[in-house]
Amino acid sequence: MASNLTRSDTAVPLNQRGIWFYLRRDWMFYAMMVPGIVYFLTFKYWPIYGVSFAFRDYNIFTGAAPWMGTEAFERLFSLPGFWRAFRNNVIISFAKLIFGFPAPIILSLLINEVAHRHYKKLVQTSVLLPSFISWVIIGGLMLAILSPNSGVLQAALEWFGYRGRIVNLMASKEHFRGVIVATYVWRQWGVGTIIYLAAIASIDPQLYEAATIDGAGRWRQLFSITLPSLRLTIIILLILRVGDLMEAGFEQIFAIYNPLVYEVAEIIDTYVYKVGLVDRNFSLATAAGLFKSVIGLVMVLGANWVAKRIDRESGLI
Amino acid sequence: MIALARGERVGRIVVYALLFVIMVITLYPFWHVIMYSLSDSQPAMSGGLFLWPRELNFAAYGLMFRSGAIFTAYGNTVFRTGVGTSLGIVVTAMLAYPLSRRRLKGRNIITMGVFIPMLFQGGLIPLYLVVANLGLLNSRWALILPVLVAPYNVFIMRNYFQHLPDSLEESANIDGATPLRTLFSIIIPVSMPVIAAVAMFYGVFHWNYYIDGVLYIDQSRKQILQVFLRAMLSGSSLAQLNNLDDFTATEGMTEQTMLMATVGASMVPVLLVYPWLQKYYVKGVMIGSIKG
Repeated sequence: MASNLTRSDTAVPLNQRGIWFYLRRDWMFYAMMVPGIVYFLTFKYWPIYGVSFAFRDYNIFTGAAPWMGTEAFERLFSLPGFWRAFRNNVIISFAKLIFGFPAPIILSLLINEVAHRHYKKLVQTSVLLPSFISWVIIGGLMLAILSPNSGVLQAALEWFGYRGRIVNLMASKEHFRGVIVATYVWRQWGVGTIIYLAAIASIDPQLYEAATIDGAGRWRQLFSITLPSLRLTIIILLILRVGDLMEAGFEQIFAIYNPLVYEVAEIIDTYVYKVGLVDRNFSLATAAGLFKSVIGLVMVLGANWVAKRIDRESGLI
Repeated sequence: MIALARGERVGRIVVYALLFVIMVITLYPFWHVIMYSLSDSQPAMSGGLFLWPRELNFAAYGLMFRSGAIFTAYGNTVFRTGVGTSLGIVVTAMLAYPLSRRRLKGRNIITMGVFIPMLFQGGLIPLYLVVANLGLLNSRWALILPVLVAPYNVFIMRNYFQHLPDSLEESANIDGATPLRTLFSIIIPVSMPVIAAVAMFYGVFHWNYYIDGVLYIDQSRKQILQVFLRAMLSGSSLAQLNNLDDFTATEGMTEQTMLMATVGASMVPVLLVYPWLQKYYVKGVMIGSIKG
């Protein structure tokens, strides 16, 4: 009803209409947005205001929070625990990028070589499955597979003639990060194939036909047609991925890490949890979280800037 | 079919075999857990590969549902997933639809307001303090309200609505339908692909996410399944988890079998809806990857 007023009101020039005109005409559109806006203000913007706790001395008992400047940051930067978490965060997220980024590309190229439609569908459907499964459940699967006492890995290795006893990978400082990265790839690469397979499917089939007539084999077609056609997709996804580089995987690590591997597995998010919610030092924990968010923001903006220079259509902003 | 050169035929066999191995590595862990949980505790203890249950036995599942604690946790997870997903879709659609109308004044500011949290978040502690200030600690709503709307989902819905023909809305206007009515009786029914995709994103998120359960809930009757499972994984003795121990002792059940049954029970619903999940999920990722 309100939106029907448009025609009868066109007598008034557009630029002379005040805010009340639009509020009256579209009031129901604005009213519709109220729950969403209230949500964003409460659970997105109020916490953004809450980062000010990093600069205030919050007392959990009285609720008082006088300003104290950068004291929390000075303390934070003097704590070896924080630097350990920061270092682990960087190591784990870099390893995830290095192994996790090419994995779906290689998997897509393999799947693309399958000529039988049903087999192709079967593989695609299988590799996508783990990405729908909670990290906690995956932790349970890992325990079942990797445990040296009853584990499958041990049995499988023995089947291949291995006579030793494997170490408990989930409690070993040398192996824990490797396990984290491997299960990350195992869970995520299926999702990555969605976009690559779609990009491969959009390549003009005439290119392949012409190449076949010219006598180019599958390898030659891979390097001369498929990969060059994917170049832009790969670059854009790589840049967007770099923007997430501060995310080492809170849900994944928090599900399975244990005191034996804190030294190699403590990341900023788990550190924030411990300092804030276990030790109840809100200011210090907020400062650690803010440190991470700010680096993350800079990386996202930087990645976006680079993406736009390469292709004007891509990037978030 | 075109005859393949010998080398290419070998190459194809290698690719097919490699993908087969990848499939086994992907699927076997799920199979293993379900087979283990359906086995009798004693023969299962020796471990190794499980192609079939060893002495088929449903006792672990029976015990799980009789024990109360896990059953309650299951109910809490179902509740948060059901309510969180439905509420999330409604609020997201009511925000996305006006933002897709070009003539709406102020839509750029609100769009920006939805976008900024994708770049910068307050973080764990400030959000915790908000939840605490609202008195939501130890309330089931703490698992729903703070994660009600995802900015990304607002954008994929808005992009989809933007590409609907204007004639749809115009015909509704002529019939005198209000915007709210237009949204629910015209726009949403013709936007089922995006609605289904967003429902999948929210549903999977609510079923799987557990950090909020750890942060906001410390009464076990309100706790969700994944937090329960995490406690089992981190080796808290089962005795702490509502006297499960009494049951296991009397029925000769190992903790490992109980754990496998709990893992099995929490993934079965996902496996059951998986054919639809992956279909709409793939569509959703495709819609999301196209900039509107």
